[in-house]
Amino acid sequence: MDQKDWARKTPFGILRKKPSFEAWLLMPAVIILLIITIYPTVYMLYMSTIKYSTLPQVPSQFIGFGNWIAMLTDQDVWSSWWTTVLYFVFALGLQILLGTAIAILIEHSPFLQDFLATALLCPMFLAPVLVGLLWRFMLHDSYGVYSYILRSLGLLDKATSLLGNINTALPTVIIMDTWEWTPLIMIIVLSGLRALPTDIIEAAQVDGASFFQQLRYITVPLLRPVFIVALLIRSMDLLRYIDHLMVTTSGGPADATKILAIRIYENAFRFYKLGYASALAITLLVVIIILGRFFINILGIEKEEVTL
Amino acid sequence: MTALAVRGKTRKRINRVTLILLDIIVLFIFDFPILWMFLSALKREEGMFSMPPKLFFVPTLFNYFNLVERGALLYFKNSLAASLATVFVATIIGIMAGYGLARGNFRGKKNLAWWIISTRMAPMVAVILPLYIIFRNLGMLNSLTGLVVGFTTFTLPFATWLMMGFFQEIPRDLEEAALVDGADKPQAFFYVALPLVTPGIVATAVLCFVFAWNDYLFATVLTSGKTQTLPVVTSALQTMRGILWGQVMSMGTLIFVPVLLIGIAIRKYLVRGLTMGAIK
Repeated sequence: MDQKDWARKTPFGILRKKPSFEAWLLMPAVIILLIITIYPTVYMLYMSTIKYSTLPQVPSQFIGFGNWIAMLTDQDVWSSWWTTVLYFVFALGLQILLGTAIAILIEHSPFLQDFLATALLCPMFLAPVLVGLLWRFMLHDSYGVYSYILRSLGLLDKATSLLGNINTALPTVIIMDTWEWTPLIMIIVLSGLRALPTDIIEAAQVDGASFFQQLRYITVPLLRPVFIVALLIRSMDLLRYIDHLMVTTSGGPADATKILAIRIYENAFRFYKLGYASALAITLLVVIIILGRFFINILGIEKEEVTL
Repeated sequence: MTALAVRGKTRKRINRVTLILLDIIVLFIFDFPILWMFLSALKREEGMFSMPPKLFFVPTLFNYFNLVERGALLYFKNSLAASLATVFVATIIGIMAGYGLARGNFRGKKNLAWWIISTRMAPMVAVILPLYIIFRNLGMLNSLTGLVVGFTTFTLPFATWLMMGFFQEIPRDLEEAALVDGADKPQAFFYVALPLVTPGIVATAVLCFVFAWNDYLFATVLTSGKTQTLPVVTSALQTMRGILWGQVMSMGTLIFVPVLLIGIAIRKYLVRGLTMGAIK
């Protein structure tokens, strides 16, 4: 390929004499995203090398890798990573399991399948911050309806506050997130189930396969691409959204629910350690992008199957 | 033989009953909290805190009137303005970019698409943090314009990616036929491709609206006082005497109901939109 040819095939490089119509259409988006996402990210990289001063008369100080070294040696940050992993694994696992189970349940329901599927979507439409507030209300120690029910059933003693106890806070916020997002998995899996070829399942039934055998050997393997998509979407958003945590525990009690995103928020907007928070945020960003790339690569391999 | 058949029938009936019971349980688990929000919004404060909780009571719109009195209308306007402006920017630019990615033929297209989608994956704090500092330096904090910029960081990549999928679905032949008939590329785009993806555009716009409307984190960092949005104000209903739950619940209902309605209206495209086009 000679120089001229290469220039022609570059999207909208300066080398190119006349950008194609498609390139013109792409340009606004690319320019906007450069300004509002790439530039801020680069700026954050720069921020991570300074000790930010909130006082106008005191200049911010360049400290090189100071924030990064502090981050790596900070026990609290490592424990936040651990909390993040617990939160991530349990929430994701619960949501996938429950969502799949409910999708299968709906698929086998004798009637009102569409009504059920729609009615179950409700939590997903509720703003995450409202999910937090609503659950906080329902779990309130003295007047929460769920606390009342649990206490009436003898499942919860009077002294324990589910969101305020070190041992129960993390499971509780995981359940909260699961309540909101299981419907998403449900509807994804349901659309997968409905797209399955019926003849294979019928053949299995004729051969006398039990319900669980069908599930184990036919349904789940065929739904693999659907599961990967569900995993991709949920794992991104699990680490992206902290709204519901901010209004319930905001990381407490005693850091029990302080996943990394909350620690970043706290460092940035409560302690104004903007440099340190930047270093943390870049780490989280890199981890998420690697994770996303991993899932997308798997998807890419199975691309043909994904288009259901 | 008959005994076996009867047993089979009974089993089927038991199965049916179990399924219906399970349906009811699941329905209760996922919809009761929402119902509780609706009900609590209609209670007076003293009714809200009664133990055991009351399912039957005289409903009142007291909380809603209270909201109006406290100036919730302003925050409603803020939410609506910021969300609509975001939809406008993200959808229009997203349509253009989506078409460019779907039909363009140049080097690095794959990388460009990947870059656009990865901006959608970024954790919100990692986006808000630098924006906050930059806006502070520019004096753009506490403005709805700044908030719209914030919302655009995640809605624009989303809209682009989704529209790319919708455009890829229409056969190239249609546009090529128009080109053969003497139309130029912009005409093929406007008059052939665009009308065919109208449902996709509506779905994209609606989902962008929902993401912006439901956002809390961007709004709580980037706005304050008179530029706050509904979710931020709702979470701020904490006074010295405690949380004004009646107002939280009525405000929650106001935020939730429009989203629910439009969500159901575009149900057909919901899965596709929420999986960014991976599942159709």
